[in-house]
Amino acid sequence: MSGDADPAPRVDDGLTLEELDADGALLEAIDSVYGDSRADLLRKAAFGGAALLGVLARPPDATGAPKKDTAVLKFDLVFEYLQSSFYLGAVRVGTVQRMAPEKARWAHVLGAHELAHVAILRKVLGRDAVKKPFFNFRGVTESESAFTRTAVAMEDLTVAMLAGQAPKFENRALVSAVFSLLTTEARHAAWARRIAGFTPVANAFDEPKTLAEVDRVVRATRFIASRPRTRGRGKPRYSG
Amino acid sequence: MTTRRRPTTIGQPAERLVSRRAFLARGARSASVVALGSGVAGALVASGASAPTPAGDVRILNYLLLLEYLQEALYAEAVAAGRLRGELRRYARIAGDHEQQHVRALRDILGSNARAKPQTRFGEAVRREGRFVAAALTLEETAAAAYIGQAANLTRERILAVARIVAVEARHAAWIRDYAGRTPAPSAADAAKSARQVERTLARTGFVGRR
Repeated sequence: MSGDADPAPRVDDGLTLEELDADGALLEAIDSVYGDSRADLLRKAAFGGAALLGVLARPPDATGAPKKDTAVLKFDLVFEYLQSSFYLGAVRVGTVQRMAPEKARWAHVLGAHELAHVAILRKVLGRDAVKKPFFNFRGVTESESAFTRTAVAMEDLTVAMLAGQAPKFENRALVSAVFSLLTTEARHAAWARRIAGFTPVANAFDEPKTLAEVDRVVRATRFIASRPRTRGRGKPRYSG
Repeated sequence: MTTRRRPTTIGQPAERLVSRRAFLARGARSASVVALGSGVAGALVASGASAPTPAGDVRILNYLLLLEYLQEALYAEAVAAGRLRGELRRYARIAGDHEQQHVRALRDILGSNARAKPQTRFGEAVRREGRFVAAALTLEETAAAAYIGQAANLTRERILAVARIVAVEARHAAWIRDYAGRTPAPSAADAAKSARQVERTLARTGFVGRR
């Protein structure tokens, strides 16, 4: 939209898009879903925070990422897969195309952001990255009203999850990084709420949720049709 | 209105002097305020090298409290001035109520160490809608970036306390951006601001200081 007067994102002082997306999967996903006309804009939308990505993707020190941090990041990654698949799914089935331009832009930007979060977390986790599960959104992505309302619930849940997890990271660089994701998800939630006609900010505090609480909610949706398989920590990536 | 400052050379950081004076607003205890700038910036530089301490928490939370005070005052004065209409008035009321609760939460943690409310001068920002939107946007974005910048310097217990606040600041920022026709979430990962950057932004607004 022409109303967007934000300065161009700086990508020169952090990780570059190419470094982050070494296998090109992210670009491919953005291009295939959004087409060439939008891909450029959305790449910029997705990588405005490249300086931060540099901090995040710094190679782990000799001791490696603490085990507990890895476990939390894996959970976050599944959640980001869920969200990105959700928005992309709504694009694929044509729901987003039928929405008013302002609303469609919202869905496009959020999809691009969630894809970027997947790429960030995969990069941080490296060999520990879990594979993408299969999702079944059970028709929710096919109706505009169900899609936007579910997006609100999903974004609010992400905020609660990250607020709960942020203090738990052993690695201090991850605390800052997760705060950057937390505020982004909070923006998503507020934006989604305004799109859906709810008050963008319901409370003075965003109360945290534990991973067990979040997991219960996600299981209740039955959106995850198959759990991702976790690659063993010590195993070589390729045999032979 | 503050007078327009000319750009200064690196050797003469006029803005920093101005902001220092601004931070030394009446009511604030000057010793702790002076410690604010260098203390918080120092903690940032040392992040990773030295472990967070309760004393460090006090400095950082007082710095964040200043930002909460500013937001609370902006919304309270704007609502009292009675020039806001429709959704903007609703926004100012709701956000104002939240900021008041954030102030209370930080003051509760800080106890007798809590800094006093600064003097503020919002001028037209509480009387004209366009100026109000710009002021709210600046203060909300600055607060969110300031929290991100300090999170890793806090002890674990305090990280949780500020996590539930920063998410709300980001929601406010998104709301007022959307209202202003700007992308509510301009980046996939929000940037942090150092204490020094925040100080400079505040100095430019001219909101802190005697009326």
